[in-house]
Amino acid sequence: MNSKEKIVILGGGQSAVYAAKEIRNYDNKVEITIISEENVLAYERPPLSKEYITNKKKLDDFIFFNSEFYSKNNINYLKNTKIINIDFQNKILFSQNNNQFLYDKLLVATGSLNRKIDPNIKNNYNKFLSLRNNEDSDNIKNKLKESKKVLIIGGGFIGLEIASSANELDKEVYVVEMNDQLMGRSIPKKISNLCKKIHEENGNKIYLNTTIKKINFYNNSYEIKLSNEEIIFVDLVILGIGSIANTELFKNKDIKIDNGIITNEYCETSQKDVYAAGDVSNFFHPFYNKYIRLESYQHAQNHGICAAKNILGIKEAYNSIPWMWSDQLNINIQLTGLCDDFDEILQRGENIEEGVIDFFIKDKEIKGACGIGVKGKIGRDIKLASKILEKKLKINVSNILDKNFNLSKMLKKV
Amino acid sequence: MNNENLNWHFVQDSDGIEDEDIIRFDLDDKTFCIYKLQDGFYATDGICTHEAVHLEDGLVMDDEIECPMHQGIFNIKSGKALSPPACDDLKTYPVKVEDNKIYIQIS
Repeated sequence: MNSKEKIVILGGGQSAVYAAKEIRNYDNKVEITIISEENVLAYERPPLSKEYITNKKKLDDFIFFNSEFYSKNNINYLKNTKIINIDFQNKILFSQNNNQFLYDKLLVATGSLNRKIDPNIKNNYNKFLSLRNNEDSDNIKNKLKESKKVLIIGGGFIGLEIASSANELDKEVYVVEMNDQLMGRSIPKKISNLCKKIHEENGNKIYLNTTIKKINFYNNSYEIKLSNEEIIFVDLVILGIGSIANTELFKNKDIKIDNGIITNEYCETSQKDVYAAGDVSNFFHPFYNKYIRLESYQHAQNHGICAAKNILGIKEAYNSIPWMWSDQLNINIQLTGLCDDFDEILQRGENIEEGVIDFFIKDKEIKGACGIGVKGKIGRDIKLASKILEKKLKINVSNILDKNFNLSKMLKKV
Repeated sequence: MNNENLNWHFVQDSDGIEDEDIIRFDLDDKTFCIYKLQDGFYATDGICTHEAVHLEDGLVMDDEIECPMHQGIFNIKSGKALSPPACDDLKTYPVKVEDNKIYIQIS
């Protein structure tokens, strides 16, 4: 790139800062500006629903890079800056406080926004808490201190992680999920049911196939009527009903959006010199030959790094095999690949203590694997599954089923 | 064993240990991992610096150990944290093999 060229990165999350770091690794001349709405430097999101709420970690413990890193690498980091309009033709971003930013190449890494769908929820939205950033997590943490009974609407990852943290803080926890399983968007039913059992064994009350029928608010406490006619009283309601790509800025703009900003395998959008990475992007995955939108730690980082290379003209297709985790109570859930297209499911491991992993097999190849186990017990096999599926190796059923068979041997045969 | 240095602790026999195997070793209230790599044995602290999980269940790839919980990666020989979410290095310890017996030096 021309050394005077300006790269602007919109968003202050993991994709954004890893993209900036990667650009600087290759090019020490180009101008890099990160524009973030948040008032703190980019930090890891996973602790917000867990260790931050339970006071085991402070924000400083999980900042990605400190301010010295940005100054040393000559990365201009603008906090508290909301962009409200964009002119693709002239390559200008307009901020709420009337500043303009010119770019030659733009990376959109605006992440996702919390979903607000249910009308019962919409009308009461301001009374409820939800989790997206560190300030939300502060609010939840403070409110939990003065609460005994907590209702979490939505049985996805965030809802269940907050349910775990609240349980750890000795709260009475209710989780209401409208679907017939927890974490239904990504986790297979059998694994999700094992997770439900652990929550219930720890005292959390889980309602499946249940919605909120009515909410009354009295003197700092809520009377909640569920669709099964049961009434529960709680003093805190937290929403965890999923998220959508944060594409607000691009409404009615000339850029293709469909469940996120559409990008090709090189992180390029339909608009010239505009790239997108992380949660906000619905990207083409050459390995799976389809478009995918992911919300995960590993993806946010790798996609940002890949976008950085392509911005600099180092053509690299994004082919990273999806992987994600969730920590709840004393268990760890992991998923690799995709678990939605298979001929058969092979179960490895019999119980939570040693770990249970379902392998999703099609044409004798692993397409995805998802497991649950006591912390540390599934990660090794999940990683090996990821490597085996990436290489498209044909599997031997008995090897997968035999917990004593070391899966790394499958890789060594090649 | 050379009794002149009492900081060497017997771990186990080295027979039958394959490359990329991990041996857990506990001493008092501390826990360690001993790794068999192609060029010998190496040792680090047993617990991942990111979150309290034992690395004995992790995956060894070349000279690296990957944490089984969040895929943080460390170099086994230097202890250096290579990939987030791990950011603090692991402490490393000398290991020797004498007469097919593995020893770790913990001072």
